[in-house]
Amino acid sequence: MSAVAVHQFAQCITCHAWSPDHSMIALCPNNSEVHIYRMSEDKWERVHVLQKHDQIVSGIDWSSTSNKIVTVSHDRNSYVWNLEGSDWVPTLVILRLNRAALCAQWSPQENKFAVGSGAKTVCICYYEQENNWWVSKLVRKRHNSSVTSVAWHPNNILLATTSTDGKCRVFSTFIKGVDTRDSKTSSSSDTKFGEQILQLDLSYSWAFGVKWSPSGNTLAYVGHNSMIYFVDDVGPSPLAQNVAFRDLPLRDVLFVSEKVVIGVGFDCIPMVFAADESGIWSFVRFIGETKTPSSAPKYGSQFSEAFGKFYSQSKYGVNNDGTENSRQRGGIHQNCINCILPLKEPGVSMVRRFSTSGLDGKVVIWDLENQDDLFQ
Amino acid sequence: MCLQNFPCQEVERHNKPEVELKTSSELILNPILICRNEAEKCLIETSINSLRISLKVRQADELENILTKKFLRFLSMRAEAFQVLRRKPVPGYDISFLITNYHCEDMQKSKLIDFIVQFMEDIDKEISELKMSVNTRGRLVAAEFLKQFI
Repeated sequence: MSAVAVHQFAQCITCHAWSPDHSMIALCPNNSEVHIYRMSEDKWERVHVLQKHDQIVSGIDWSSTSNKIVTVSHDRNSYVWNLEGSDWVPTLVILRLNRAALCAQWSPQENKFAVGSGAKTVCICYYEQENNWWVSKLVRKRHNSSVTSVAWHPNNILLATTSTDGKCRVFSTFIKGVDTRDSKTSSSSDTKFGEQILQLDLSYSWAFGVKWSPSGNTLAYVGHNSMIYFVDDVGPSPLAQNVAFRDLPLRDVLFVSEKVVIGVGFDCIPMVFAADESGIWSFVRFIGETKTPSSAPKYGSQFSEAFGKFYSQSKYGVNNDGTENSRQRGGIHQNCINCILPLKEPGVSMVRRFSTSGLDGKVVIWDLENQDDLFQ
Repeated sequence: MCLQNFPCQEVERHNKPEVELKTSSELILNPILICRNEAEKCLIETSINSLRISLKVRQADELENILTKKFLRFLSMRAEAFQVLRRKPVPGYDISFLITNYHCEDMQKSKLIDFIVQFMEDIDKEISELKMSVNTRGRLVAAEFLKQFI
């Protein structure tokens, strides 16, 4: 498990997205533009700059089959970009939001996309063929605070959202005319649009980074209290597990397979969580570490370690946290990692490579070559 | 110091430090007060996109009181140069820092923390140096003045 490639694109990257063949990357360098880079002969060159937003672009998603890019920004607007010839042409999406948009994701079938916003609502947008534009439907009255992250279930109907009120909610987003009523999905009989299927109140701090497992059976999201929550059998009687870890909180997670999750956040190194045969999730290790740290006995020494640092700092002044930080700022990312995306090879169900981008302006591609012990 | 960019929930298209506004209670975390003794304390208030650290410096006598006030006012007035300094201290304290997510994006977290710790030590040193120099000068002036009466 190592970093295969490190690319420095800007001083700070808010979010990124890959083209379907992974040859181009779209990213936001912490301003109102989206830059698209293409890899040519081992070098990245900037091929397009999409300039339509007035404020920072907070979410980018690139659909893999229809090759469309959706961008959402803090200026309450969203554009769907289509490649026509060699230019990207924007189409405004009327989101009807009155606050900033925070995140966006295409649905698995790419006929809809979801936008989470600071207006405490989630927008589901779909394409109306008659009028030739994107229409939005809002899910109101459910969230108590900003919606930080959205994730689609593989069945294209269920949507999970996390919010700064600490709760994770699952909604049905069935839209007549866009979705087909399937016998499989009618197990959740309340297929009305905006119906809340489930509300998880596991975290007492802000929740971020929700993702479904590839089969849609498990949900994972992180809380700002340095905990990651796994929910199995999402439905009327979910089974929830909390995993607490001793380091800084995470910002985003990724399901590499049904049983392995990678989390990224303020620690600047991806963390691996895995479920064993009985389904119990636990923290395995940081990427790149050779031995697995045992979490329980360290709590005692962590306290005395913290005390030691506190005292020595006050006596000698500077930089004993230089040594502590050199473990966490392991070399590759220098600042918080914001975004983790899979680099899926077509035909392979397990994700072997993924990319992370962070506030240090780097995009790092990781490969899980030697970690077959995680995939049993 | 885990701060992230977060647009304002109350006003559209605005991005404000939530710890200063305190309008949405869910976005603010519990403040921590660290006291060395009754005279010196440090208040740390955090929110999702900003962090405020307020210090109360030890002032043993009237002279130190005046020196601290003047010295810290001098620094606060030039807060732009420091970037993370707040122009006015929080009521009840002598000096305040305001760190936002933009500072964390531009500068490294560990360096910010080092800066603040260094600042705190330097304040103490400076005040005691100033006090000593005032006393020395006072003594010299008084000695010179009184010489004429000998």
